[in-house]
Amino acid sequence: MKLVGIIGSIADESYNRKLMLYIASHFKETIDIEILDIRDVPMFRAGMEMGPAVEYLNKKISAADGVIIATPEHNHTTTAALKSVIEWLSSSVHPFADKPVLLVGASYFEQGSGRAQLDLRQILESPGVNALVMPKDEFLLGNVKSAFDENGNLKEARTVGFLESVMGNFLKWIKVLKAMKKNNDVKGDWESEDLTASQEIDTTVKGVDMKAEDWVEQAAAKTNAVEGDTYVKLDRGLLTVNQLNWFLNTMPVELTFADDNNQFIYYNRMDENPKDMLAPRQPKQVGDPLESVHPERALKGVKHVVHTLRTGETDLVSMPVPFINKVNEKHVMHYYKAMHDEDGRYRGINEWVVDIWPVVESYLKMTGQKLVADENAKVDATSGASEKKEEPVATPETDATSGASESETKVEEVKVAEPEVDATSGASES
Amino acid sequence: MNHYVGIAGTNDLKSTNLKLMQYIKNHFSEKAEIELVDISDLPVFFKNKDRVIPEKAAEISMKIEAADGVIIATPEYDHSVPAVLMNALEWLSYARHPFVGKPVMIVGASYGTLGTSRAQAHLRRILDSPELSARIMPSSEFLLGHSLQAFDEDGNLNNEEKVTLLDGLFEDFEVFSNISKHLTNANDEQRKEVENYSWKD
Repeated sequence: MKLVGIIGSIADESYNRKLMLYIASHFKETIDIEILDIRDVPMFRAGMEMGPAVEYLNKKISAADGVIIATPEHNHTTTAALKSVIEWLSSSVHPFADKPVLLVGASYFEQGSGRAQLDLRQILESPGVNALVMPKDEFLLGNVKSAFDENGNLKEARTVGFLESVMGNFLKWIKVLKAMKKNNDVKGDWESEDLTASQEIDTTVKGVDMKAEDWVEQAAAKTNAVEGDTYVKLDRGLLTVNQLNWFLNTMPVELTFADDNNQFIYYNRMDENPKDMLAPRQPKQVGDPLESVHPERALKGVKHVVHTLRTGETDLVSMPVPFINKVNEKHVMHYYKAMHDEDGRYRGINEWVVDIWPVVESYLKMTGQKLVADENAKVDATSGASEKKEEPVATPETDATSGASESETKVEEVKVAEPEVDATSGASES
Repeated sequence: MNHYVGIAGTNDLKSTNLKLMQYIKNHFSEKAEIELVDISDLPVFFKNKDRVIPEKAAEISMKIEAADGVIIATPEYDHSVPAVLMNALEWLSYARHPFVGKPVMIVGASYGTLGTSRAQAHLRRILDSPELSARIMPSSEFLLGHSLQAFDEDGNLNNEEKVTLLDGLFEDFEVFSNISKHLTNANDEQRKEVENYSWKD
């Protein structure tokens, strides 16, 4: 996360500078905040070329994930120095457009620059500037002369706590806006989803045949991938590759990773007989494009699911597995969760498959309850895309008819992995 | 005859607010003397330890102190008063406080339809702040929209209704300025207060 902080004062001594310096240092472990000075920016004049100081600000703001502005209050409004900067940056260049902005301010007396912030908010939201000012929190630091200790730290723990919560909200605000922006960037409709994985991405291992049975070995050699006892630093933790494998292999769900190029690049049940899996995968399939691991008839549904997740229309698609589910015995669910990087860019699908019946069963046992059919409920028991038979919640008879042998043959069919999209998932409509 | 200071809140020589201010000066020349002052070359305002203001700002300040009132034409940039005008008002409320109790009339011109309505509201708030404490003429607004088409080749407003409105507002401003000469009871206290005001930020 890369932020820039603009100090709206060019005074010899400025409490807003102090506040910004404090913010940058207080959050330095988690956020990179670069402080920008506006001292050298000349007064805006229409038609005049922007000089190097303005160009510098333009470049820095454009590249940042978000902007924090600390404004003093002069004459019940923001400063001319800051306003001039904003005018420069809303004239021939527009780095604030769609940029998340957080306003803070300090004042000598108790008002804490509230009026200046309100004006600044209105200015930043005007069409020429088009910034996205965070709508909820206001950080007003009044009586600033007594707010900092000799080391430049805020004295009041409550104030620090509030600042931290404001900053937390701002980071969320940035993420939400990024996700929105990225989604709008997705071109084409669901039919244009390329399941042959030919749209190479930054993580695609080049020069290895995706369909090769030893794709993993080849790709690992190509990338000099680490393994065994080598440590890998994660967001919050440190594991060896072995530890990572032990951990993933024992997840109570079957996990599959398909990247944003629609390439199947990982699953966590390598040692399991595919027949024993809820959604069978085989070691040799890893590396395949999604097209190769689905039967022809399922491809349309897969495209729908992927596209729904890629565009952010939904973050999670879930559906029961057809054929193998049996009422009050087995209820296998497929979940497809969109993954995003810290910039909000879509990075693929985390798919997990799990039989939720044991959970329900143990819950009933523990709480001494039983399931009763709801006469009015309509559920989609078959979950086929084309055939939407609506039946009341399962009755004992349906349960009785499903024989073990029959269910096994159906499992073979499930090898085609993802079932066609269930209409109830909402993926195919809209 | 009253003597007013006219400020076009711009540093753009092609500004229609400059045109509007010049029109006002000429149009009312039989009724009042309006002296236009230039704010375009003031440095960007910064607070300094010694509270020094540029010579140019001091000069404008003295002109305002001596005037019966001030007429300000404001453009609108980014839904608000242009930095160059905000800047002048900062210099004119730092160290010296010529606006305290001073009658002010606000007008504005814009290329679009709205005629600087938002900038004028912003300017009112600024002028009403303690360091300025101007006496802004209430219940009056002169919004000149589509300003590129509003003047003929002699620089006169070509819309009769607008001229009539401006005439009326100016008459009111004359009265307002004269009344304001009696509304001085709090001025000394206000001045004292702002002179003690800390400008630290």
